[in-house]
Amino acid sequence: MKKTKLGEFEELVLLTVAALQQEAYGVEIKRELEDRLKEKLSVGSIQSALKRMEEKGFLTSKFGEATQKRGGKRKRIYAATPYAHRVLAEMKEIRAGLWDAIPRLAPELRTI
Amino acid sequence: MKMSNETKPPRWPLKFLRFFLKKEYLEEIEGDMEELFHENAETLSLKKAKRIYTWEMLKLLRPVLIKNLEALHNLNQYDMFKNYFKISTRGLMKNPLNSFINIFGLSVAIGLCVFFYAFARWTYSTDQFHEHKNEVYLATSFVDREGTQQQYGTTPRPLGEMLKEDFPQIKSVCRIEDRNVVVKYEDNVFHERVRYVDPAFLEMFTFPLKWGTSGSLADVNSIILSEKMSTKYFGDQNPVGLDILVKFNKDSGKVFKITGVAREFPKARTIDFSFLINVENLRTSEPAYNFHDWHDLVNATLIQVENPNDISAIKGRMGKYKHLQNEAVKADQAISSFAFEPLATLHERTENMRDHISRSTRSDYITVIYFSVIGVFMLTLACLNYINIAIVSATKRLKEIGVRKSIGAKRGTVIVQFLSENMVITFFAVVVGLILGLTVFIPGFENMWHFSMGFRLNDMTLWIFLPAVLLFTSIASGIYPSLYISKFTVVGIFKGSVQFGRKNPLTKTFLGIQLVLSCIFLTSAVMFTQNSSYLAKRSWGYNQQQVLYAVVPDQFAYEELHALLIQEPDVLSISGSRDQLGKSNTGAVLQFPDREFEVDQFAVDANYFETMGIPILKGRVFKDHEGSDRQAIVANELLVKNMGWEHPIGQQFKIAGVQYEVVGVVKNFHHSDFYTPLHPTIFNIAGKTDYRYLSIKVRSGSEIKTYKTLQAKWAQLFPEVPFDGGFQEDVWGNYFQEIGNHGKVWITFAFIAVCLASLGLYGLITLNVAARIKEFSIRKVLGADVKNITSVITNQYVILFGVALIIGAPLSYLLVKLVFDSSFAYHMPVDFSGAVIAVAILILVLVFTISTQIKKVIKLNPVDGLKAD
Repeated sequence: MKKTKLGEFEELVLLTVAALQQEAYGVEIKRELEDRLKEKLSVGSIQSALKRMEEKGFLTSKFGEATQKRGGKRKRIYAATPYAHRVLAEMKEIRAGLWDAIPRLAPELRTI
Repeated sequence: MKMSNETKPPRWPLKFLRFFLKKEYLEEIEGDMEELFHENAETLSLKKAKRIYTWEMLKLLRPVLIKNLEALHNLNQYDMFKNYFKISTRGLMKNPLNSFINIFGLSVAIGLCVFFYAFARWTYSTDQFHEHKNEVYLATSFVDREGTQQQYGTTPRPLGEMLKEDFPQIKSVCRIEDRNVVVKYEDNVFHERVRYVDPAFLEMFTFPLKWGTSGSLADVNSIILSEKMSTKYFGDQNPVGLDILVKFNKDSGKVFKITGVAREFPKARTIDFSFLINVENLRTSEPAYNFHDWHDLVNATLIQVENPNDISAIKGRMGKYKHLQNEAVKADQAISSFAFEPLATLHERTENMRDHISRSTRSDYITVIYFSVIGVFMLTLACLNYINIAIVSATKRLKEIGVRKSIGAKRGTVIVQFLSENMVITFFAVVVGLILGLTVFIPGFENMWHFSMGFRLNDMTLWIFLPAVLLFTSIASGIYPSLYISKFTVVGIFKGSVQFGRKNPLTKTFLGIQLVLSCIFLTSAVMFTQNSSYLAKRSWGYNQQQVLYAVVPDQFAYEELHALLIQEPDVLSISGSRDQLGKSNTGAVLQFPDREFEVDQFAVDANYFETMGIPILKGRVFKDHEGSDRQAIVANELLVKNMGWEHPIGQQFKIAGVQYEVVGVVKNFHHSDFYTPLHPTIFNIAGKTDYRYLSIKVRSGSEIKTYKTLQAKWAQLFPEVPFDGGFQEDVWGNYFQEIGNHGKVWITFAFIAVCLASLGLYGLITLNVAARIKEFSIRKVLGADVKNITSVITNQYVILFGVALIIGAPLSYLLVKLVFDSSFAYHMPVDFSGAVIAVAILILVLVFTISTQIKKVIKLNPVDGLKAD
């Protein structure tokens, strides 16, 4: 894995997209993340993360159905690309590896 | 539809969003926002949902989401601008003379504007560096003077302490007294002025210390120095901890420990100090000083409140002190009310206040107005040059415009081209102007007036001001030419039916305006110069040339010095006085049964009139026996006139309850400079113990010699006390230098204005002659002589000059008269001579400018003229 340039917040959004599958559009992603993070997010922050990741090739998107509630505007459904899945898996592995390393370091830490 | 009208999101944020957001994202985000809005409207209130909607919209303005603003324009815009830039630099190179006139003229005008800006900024920042400027107030008092309320910066002595006790809103109080002392450290002995202050002084005023601690002022043995004083006595050394001797008068003094040195004061200030000591020291230096006497005044009482709103409450309860004071003093100097002046605006409001610690900045603010007017005039002159030359030289660019238009340029495009070209020129001018301002105008002005505006390039507002000037100048000078040039049709241009630049009435109007402005500047320059030499010669009303003076500490010093000097053969007369013309005087209130009258007062001895050469009109001056003349008064003419006395001798009145009688009248004289109008003035006999000045009249021609003798005698008698005195001629300080500077400043402005106007004229005529070179050649071939050619070239300008000067001369006369009347109490009689000289100079310059071109045409070989292009 070279530089993935995936920010922390972007990673969270990307994971949410992957989790939501067919339901992954702007409002739903925001709602899901707000529930999990227990904090308010702005549409702007979610949208800019989505657009950046689409540019970087982590996401693809297509228009979904339009509803009355949306004033007749179509949703845009996002989906994580295989590349994104690979990067996510790699990141998870790196993190897990680091977590495994902690107990070994801990006794030494204590002596400080 | 199930949704009612009210549950719709507000419209304007959406419009805003549609303008900024990338088109491809619009549908999705609009939908999301609307969905969220409805959800919020259901769960929260409608109002809140609308607010969230709007706020979220604004937060959508992120770089990733908004349109690429450059992409708004067509792609070839960049290349077009590149082309414009290339064409305009080529144009500049091709016509170096016109470019020089344009850029140089604009630069000078902008340079002046930079300087005016620096001055305005300096003026407006006066005293604004004090952190508590809005919480610190100067207590002032109003006293009824002949029906008008006169404001004083002084207050009764006990007021400060009582205010502090009575009002919990008042955080701290500071009293200020100023006294002349002699300060001694090793071999350095100088006359100085110390400020007796309460320790709160350094909390109220933001004067950070370079060394030491400000709290140390609470100790009565501490002294705090300004940086200037520290350098004067100790050089670069840190003097904190050293002892310094302060001599309050001849017999008493005290050693103080230096506990602080203030950092260099900001330039724009009206209040500062040289030495600070605790106010309690007054008990030592002046045992008679009574802190609780309502009769007496203290130089200043300052209060600091927690909240500026409390001031009105405090002011409302000042009646108590008014009664206390009025009871103590009875009718004399009874205060009618108190007022508080905030530190932030104190300097602007002290013009009509008496005895205050600040300095009035009224004249600075007036100068700012003058400067703004002059700045606008200069920019106008330079812009008009630009406009004229642009219109005339556009003849040469007709084909270019025609080609541009025929390959698809719209009128707007041509306008943009000319404006952007102009922006390039103005940009150069701003850069050069900034350099000119920083290296020529500002230092020149500062040197002339011996002060520093502390102007720095890292000043934030300068970088708002400069682009504003750039934008304003480039649009003001460029908009008319670009509109004018762009309006011609392609067909017209190529058919050659467009004839412009030659007979444009506006060009002439502009030139006319320039001439009128130059005439105004020139007239001012001439008149200000005339006025300064007039004032230098104007009589002071007494003989100031043959008089020397010295400040003496007390009567004994006076007598010792007197005994030594009387033996000098060159000394004609010696007198002692408490006050001295031009140096100091006191005020007195004349009490008549029915009214009170305020006058300036000089307490002098019987010799004083002879020594000073003040001419006597009526009656007599004081006799030598001070005993018999204790209640005698010598008045000046103005007092007699103001009082309407037909027989002034024998008139009686009271001063502070004591009866006085007028025994003589002297001619009016100017004791302070010509800025200050004459005041009604009285003389009375000074008690010998009050003598503070010794004046000597010397034989004409021996002034310098006697001055040296005076200094030598002084050093012999009082080796401990530095000599303080000088020539009576010098008591107005740098007044004459100052009015001389007025003349110099105006000469500079006039020079620039005339240069700009003649540059413009030169440019116009050059272009005009160049365009008509064939015509002149043919005329010459057919036998036209010098006279003929001259009249052909000048004809079109003669009427213009005539009209401009006929308007300009009276206008400048009126304006200068207005300026003189408002800024000088005494000035030379304003007549037409200034305007006439100005017109003469202007005509000379114009004739010279035109003659250069006539000479060129006369020398021209007609063959060359006809061959060309």
